[in-house]
Amino acid sequence: MTHGGDILKVGNEGREVFWNAPFPTEPILFLFTAIVLAIAAYGVYLRWQMWTAIGKPEDRTDQPKERIRSLIINGLFQVRTFREYYAGIFHSLIFFGFFVLIFGAAVDATQFHIGLPFFHGKFYLWFSLLMEIFGLAVLAGVVMALVRRYVLKPDLLGYQGKPDNTFDDAVVLILIGAIIVTGFIIESLRIYVNYNLDGYTWEVWSFVGFALSHIYTGISYDSVRMAHKVMWWTHSFLTFAFIAYLPWSRLMHIITSPVNQYMKSLKPKGYLEPIRDFETAETFGVGKLEAFTWKQIFDSDACTRCGRCQDGCPAYLSKKPLSPKKLVQDIKTHWEDRVKIVLAARKLAKEKGGEPEIPPPDKALLGDVIDMHELWACTNCMYCMENCPVYVEHVPKIISMRQCKVLMDAEFSPELQLTYRNMENNSNPWGIGGHLRADWAKEIGVKTLAEDPNVEYLFYVGCSGSFDDRGKKVSVAFAKILKAAGVSFGILGTEEGCCGDSAMRGGNEYLYQSLAQANIELMNGYGVKKIICTCPHGYNALKKDYPHFGGNFEVYHHSEILADLIAGGRIRLKKAVSSLCTYHDSCFLGRYNDIYEQPRKVLSAVPGVRMVEMKRNLEKSFCCGAGGGRMWMEEDIGERINDMRTDQAIEAGAETIAVACPFCLTMMADGIKDRAMEEKMKSLDIAEIVWDAMDLEEAQAAPAAPSE
Amino acid sequence: MNIVACVKQVPDTEALIKVKPDGSGIDEGGIKWVMNPYDEYGVEEALRLKEAKGGEVTIVSVGPARAMETIRTALAMGAEKGVHVSDPLLDNTDAYTTAAALAAVIKGLNPDIIFCGQRAIDDDSGQVGSILAAILGIPQVTIVTKLEMADGKIKAIKPIEGAQLVIESTLPCVITTQKGLNEPRYASLPGIMKAKKKPVDVKNAAALGIATEPKAKVAKMTPPPDRAPGKIIAGDDPAAKAAELVRLLREEAKVI
Repeated sequence: MTHGGDILKVGNEGREVFWNAPFPTEPILFLFTAIVLAIAAYGVYLRWQMWTAIGKPEDRTDQPKERIRSLIINGLFQVRTFREYYAGIFHSLIFFGFFVLIFGAAVDATQFHIGLPFFHGKFYLWFSLLMEIFGLAVLAGVVMALVRRYVLKPDLLGYQGKPDNTFDDAVVLILIGAIIVTGFIIESLRIYVNYNLDGYTWEVWSFVGFALSHIYTGISYDSVRMAHKVMWWTHSFLTFAFIAYLPWSRLMHIITSPVNQYMKSLKPKGYLEPIRDFETAETFGVGKLEAFTWKQIFDSDACTRCGRCQDGCPAYLSKKPLSPKKLVQDIKTHWEDRVKIVLAARKLAKEKGGEPEIPPPDKALLGDVIDMHELWACTNCMYCMENCPVYVEHVPKIISMRQCKVLMDAEFSPELQLTYRNMENNSNPWGIGGHLRADWAKEIGVKTLAEDPNVEYLFYVGCSGSFDDRGKKVSVAFAKILKAAGVSFGILGTEEGCCGDSAMRGGNEYLYQSLAQANIELMNGYGVKKIICTCPHGYNALKKDYPHFGGNFEVYHHSEILADLIAGGRIRLKKAVSSLCTYHDSCFLGRYNDIYEQPRKVLSAVPGVRMVEMKRNLEKSFCCGAGGGRMWMEEDIGERINDMRTDQAIEAGAETIAVACPFCLTMMADGIKDRAMEEKMKSLDIAEIVWDAMDLEEAQAAPAAPSE
Repeated sequence: MNIVACVKQVPDTEALIKVKPDGSGIDEGGIKWVMNPYDEYGVEEALRLKEAKGGEVTIVSVGPARAMETIRTALAMGAEKGVHVSDPLLDNTDAYTTAAALAAVIKGLNPDIIFCGQRAIDDDSGQVGSILAAILGIPQVTIVTKLEMADGKIKAIKPIEGAQLVIESTLPCVITTQKGLNEPRYASLPGIMKAKKKPVDVKNAAALGIATEPKAKVAKMTPPPDRAPGKIIAGDDPAAKAAELVRLLREEAKVI
């Protein structure tokens, strides 16, 4: 098949779409395309039926602009996949490669059917080169993925050391690889004829096909044409297989991932929908699959088992049974089993009439599907959610299941029961008499709002800062700093109550709300506008959750205030504090509230402090182990999370573990003790470091300036 | 089976106790009131018995209006109904009158077994269960840490110094409960909500036909004397300080 002389002129470079594929190739192609699209559509329809079969309603379609933005950033530009470099790179190679190749195929098809006036000459040459590069990119991505999954075998692609590879994982990668390889082969066969026989010298631009075409030297053109036909159909059928297979395989994530990214929570990070109908509801929390919202169920289908969540999960890495990936996958498996039964029962009822008889599940969600040790191992650190490329929401699921165990079944650890009783009776988890709450402040003379409500800030001290011996020192240091800086502030004194964070995260929403409401009533009664918290747990609760119950305050963490006071020159750091210091990110400050910079700025401003980062930091920081109510529970499985974090600080060579959270402070101090490093290391709150550097301890702290 | 658990509302163990200036009792301002912890074991054991054998648990309490919260707490844990003996004439009454009030209520309940905490943590008298058994004329087993019921009898374990007693008793009887008997449950939220609607009879002394004049009275309540402040032996010479320490321990503290 030659084209005469025209095409050989400069500027006319191009090729014939459907070369060597005479009629009726095209109708056959259309026929098969229609068939496989129907198969794929049917598969998606079946899945759609499953997605919509069970689950409570939840609106995830508000703020479309914001949702499209999320989709572009993380769907189109794959931003979050790069939180793990290797996987990010190979996934992007495949993703962008595929994207461009599909675009290329569309251009080809348009050229064939309508004709593109520009599909020749330079455009064609660059187009060919682009297709070659992206074809290679996909291939490289597939090879990287295969090597990772089957040679490197990273732990995140498994559970407790055992890979969780499925047959489908291999099929998908090999299928994609085979499509690309056969594509290059048919190209090389065509080029062999076009270049050598027809004199298409520009085929060198298709450098992969061109290089491969040399293999056929000496073979007759007819044989090559025949081989081309065979490979062409092979390539086509592999592509058909890909389309048809999509909804039945992990390839489904091509649909579910962007949908889940679009449907992501636009609420503040760590947001939990409060229970609002205590008086009327008959069940609380999630005790069975059907009690999840459709989105919570859809999440589990959107999970691709990539394992990024597991890779920094403190519970998993400390050898507890919880893996966020496993938890979500277990929900998915349970859902797949359950939803089939539900759909079958409904179908039967439709045929026979009457109400569908849905048999009870043979496995209990809580106990069989999700083990209680898994459920209670979560520290709510939110590493999983912050690093999930498709925005699966693990933590709210865990909390809603805990709510069922606590509020409905009242079956949970005795330590936590004691903690809750303490919070009920004395409004603090330790159960220390509430009348002792303000004793820390006695010596330094901090006024309560009852004594003087005309202050700018309420310093909400929280339970650790009021009752824990280490925490009290932080409160004293911070209060002294505020006084020295002339900040107008007061405390609630013995009227203050527990913020309730540990109750909420441990599933005791009822107790949490009663504590929150008591605080809100009190704060509103004093006309409080601005609040400073030294504990990130109180900070997060007051800032994000109290507004649900009528508590609308401007809430600051002391790291923000300290950074401002230093930047504004209101406090002077005179004394050198010579120490190699690492800052441990509190989960509720960092991942929950994006406060990463301020505490580091504060520390950097202290003369003599040299900073060193631990390997796991910022949004990939490792939890201290005390969040999610874990502070109050025994840790009797696996390693101790705080010891692991301490080891990371030791590895970094730190002399001081600086923290901005009283829970972290306790956990790090315990870790240092466990590792017998008390002689060489200490853990300090940033407020303590700042107060030390202010060097005012000898001199009496200046009296508070009159309120502004 | 009719099971009765008697409860008393007491100040929380961590509450700040201030004696009224006139020595007539404690200042109740700012106090968090809770169920007497020993009574919680009784309620829990009553509920477990009901769950194993069937029947009904009735909570009985003698106390001021606020004691209703404690009855509701027990109902939230799972008891069926309550009787609240509330009468200003019975406020801060003695153990005998309390037991008499309880007995007057319980007689009408036709109980198979009655639980009382072995003592209340506020006045520490430890008599109510025993007096109640005496008034009702039924056996009692006190300070029980393990309880079994079979063939219309109970078998209870009671620890004593260096040994434990296994005591069998016929029914009905009074059991006074000790720490270790069980771990009291945490009330579920539906339990708390349902408890608000469960029936509680409120009765006064006249309705029960009991004498309200206590046989024993707290004549005066005084706070424990303040502890004398510690002494720091000053000086630079360790030997002299040691000698002074020995002298003080011998002559003032009289311990050596």
